[in-house]
Amino acid sequence: MAPDDKGALFPAEGGVRERVIAFLQKAISQGCFDAVLIPARAPGTDSLTYSLIGAEQLLENAYPLPPVMPVQGAKAISSLTRTGKGKKKIAALIRPCELRATVELFKLGQVNLDNIWLISIDCPGALPLAEWARDPKKAEDAFAEILKEGPNEDIRPICQICDKFSTTGAEDLHIGVPAGKASGILLIPNSLKGEAILECLGITAGEDLSGWRERVDKLTGARVEKKRQAQQELEAKSKGLDKLLDTFSQCINCHNCMRVCPICYCRQCFFDSDNMQFLFEDYLRRAEAASGLRLPPDTLLFHIGRMLHMSLSCVSCGACEDACPTAIPVAQVFSLVGNRNQEAFDYVPGRSRDEPPPLRVYQEEEFEEVEQSHAAVPAKQEARDG
Amino acid sequence: MAKVLKLNKGAEQCLLELLRFLLESGKVKGVFTLSKVGESGAVAYSLITDPAALEAALPLFPLMPVDAAKVLSRLTLVEPSAEPIAAVVRPCELRALTELIKRSQGSLDNLLLISSTCGGVYPLKTGVNGNISEKLPGYWEAVKKGEIAADIRPACAACEHFVPYNADITLALIGNKDVDKQCLIQLNTDKAEQFADGLAGELGQGEAKSEVIDSLRAKRQARKQELLDEFGVEDSDVQKVFEKCIVCRNCNKVCPVCYCKVCFFDSGGDEHDQRYYETEMEKKGYATVLPAPIFYQLVRLFHVSISCIGCGLCGDVCPVDIPLWAVALKTGGAVQNAFDYLPGRDLDEGLPVTTFKPEEFAATVD
Repeated sequence: MAPDDKGALFPAEGGVRERVIAFLQKAISQGCFDAVLIPARAPGTDSLTYSLIGAEQLLENAYPLPPVMPVQGAKAISSLTRTGKGKKKIAALIRPCELRATVELFKLGQVNLDNIWLISIDCPGALPLAEWARDPKKAEDAFAEILKEGPNEDIRPICQICDKFSTTGAEDLHIGVPAGKASGILLIPNSLKGEAILECLGITAGEDLSGWRERVDKLTGARVEKKRQAQQELEAKSKGLDKLLDTFSQCINCHNCMRVCPICYCRQCFFDSDNMQFLFEDYLRRAEAASGLRLPPDTLLFHIGRMLHMSLSCVSCGACEDACPTAIPVAQVFSLVGNRNQEAFDYVPGRSRDEPPPLRVYQEEEFEEVEQSHAAVPAKQEARDG
Repeated sequence: MAKVLKLNKGAEQCLLELLRFLLESGKVKGVFTLSKVGESGAVAYSLITDPAALEAALPLFPLMPVDAAKVLSRLTLVEPSAEPIAAVVRPCELRALTELIKRSQGSLDNLLLISSTCGGVYPLKTGVNGNISEKLPGYWEAVKKGEIAADIRPACAACEHFVPYNADITLALIGNKDVDKQCLIQLNTDKAEQFADGLAGELGQGEAKSEVIDSLRAKRQARKQELLDEFGVEDSDVQKVFEKCIVCRNCNKVCPVCYCKVCFFDSGGDEHDQRYYETEMEKKGYATVLPAPIFYQLVRLFHVSISCIGCGLCGDVCPVDIPLWAVALKTGGAVQNAFDYLPGRDLDEGLPVTTFKPEEFAATVD
């Protein structure tokens, strides 16, 4: 948050897309940064891919807010910078959830942000990938409406309960979209790098943000409530082993949720490794013990294992759900579990680059109640054995 | 001519009777079959060891949640089964298994392979929505008449290899007009005869060949051409065909023939550092980040085409609905024709890329 809650108004006309492109073009022409990493469309095709664009006029093909999230932006930034920084100053324009995932990957050593300027933008959500795949033109029209009028019921379920759709704290610069027919965009710096962009553009943060902030806060409040309700319902449907098994019963064990997840960065997943390769004998004994064994085995174990590995960093971006071939509400379940775990550690993934992941921090005194419940186990065991 | 055992029962019941007989007599220790799992209507492959648990088995349910070959390979990769197991699989799954065995990705030892002439399966999404049950009457009607059932996956509607190769036992379904009250169990191997010995039924002779089968093959061949035309894989440029690809690579993950433990695209082999992207950008004004869909898709086709058995799972799981099954059929067909190779036909037919012939493709060499 800017200290005196001020931002700069960048004057531009047209829809949100045109205004943002105008800003990026101006910034490139002034040399504020050398290139932009942004979803762009190859002319004449429907493909939307993260592209590094250095030529001002090619930014016309950019989609600062594409109708869908074909690839999670954090993955793109990781692809670009994982092996080290380059020579150019690159602005990455991504959705808030993509930014938060980027920050998590930064903490996990999977991105290098030295030469990257992270820019986020007020996000109205994204449409389900399947809708776009079915009819890209129709999806784009539907999304144009959303950009104009605000989020509606067409956006993905996970986006409908997203309460972190605006500035999240760890960006260098946030783009606020003013209400209704107002023109221009609000540039809200959040770091020295962000302030340098304003300086380079020759504009000052003199615009009062209270009107914009009020709208963001209002929608945030509504979303928090909607999320609470949705999660309560989901919890009732999926809590406990039996219900969880039911929730994931259509899982075909393809692991696609893991492969599109920005946080699941392991080159080789434990669940694809030899650790999960057993002898026929083992499978047969397991089948005999339960009179039958579902194959491939351990589908639920995979999801629980994945949760255990990444839920503290889960940013509820919904990529997993978009990619699931059997329409399991993966993102909603992971978001529910992730939120609970994050609350327990008072941790918000992607909120701050300086906030270490909880599992990296040792605190002598924490979770005593958990400790005690475990301390009680041997006693119970003794009672049973005795 | 093979021996045929006739039972006066509908096909599914008949197959269950065979499986129950094998389990109860102790001739097999387990049965690998599709089965209902849990209470939510899901159907998945299962390894069943208790005859009572066969109650839930649905060996002929027209759904392919995963390719059975992939599962059987995983089960037998480290070592073969020490005990006899009966596996009920579809003809294309059996072909995939044969291709995997050629690549040392499993073992057929102690497996009794049971298959059937196949009417195809419904898309995974139809299965998830629980809509297959209501389609079953129409499905079996089509099987009886040797027609293409409505709404089955395009890969199945276009499949001409619906009579299994290399099955020990073949259940004759296509063209059996009494499929709901009578079944024909064809015993193709000595092993099959030994296993079926003792199962009550009327023994005769026969073969899964008939006019109905020939005519269905012709119908499917015609449909294949229609579908390929409809999806325009024939003349489209690859850029267009793969334009929506998000490179999630789920097609590779579910593909029975893509067996590499670490895919090239997970190996780091296609990764670049930031300088590379910057240089590319300087040349063209932009550079796309992440593996390019075309590169990935072409490399995959390059790796699997020769063994692609057209099971269609790649298209079934694609989150952006690229008709990958059509691409695979087209490319696989072309590559296999060039080498006069039919994947999964014969275990002893060597893989073209591992077979050296001093004289071949003279035109290419020149």
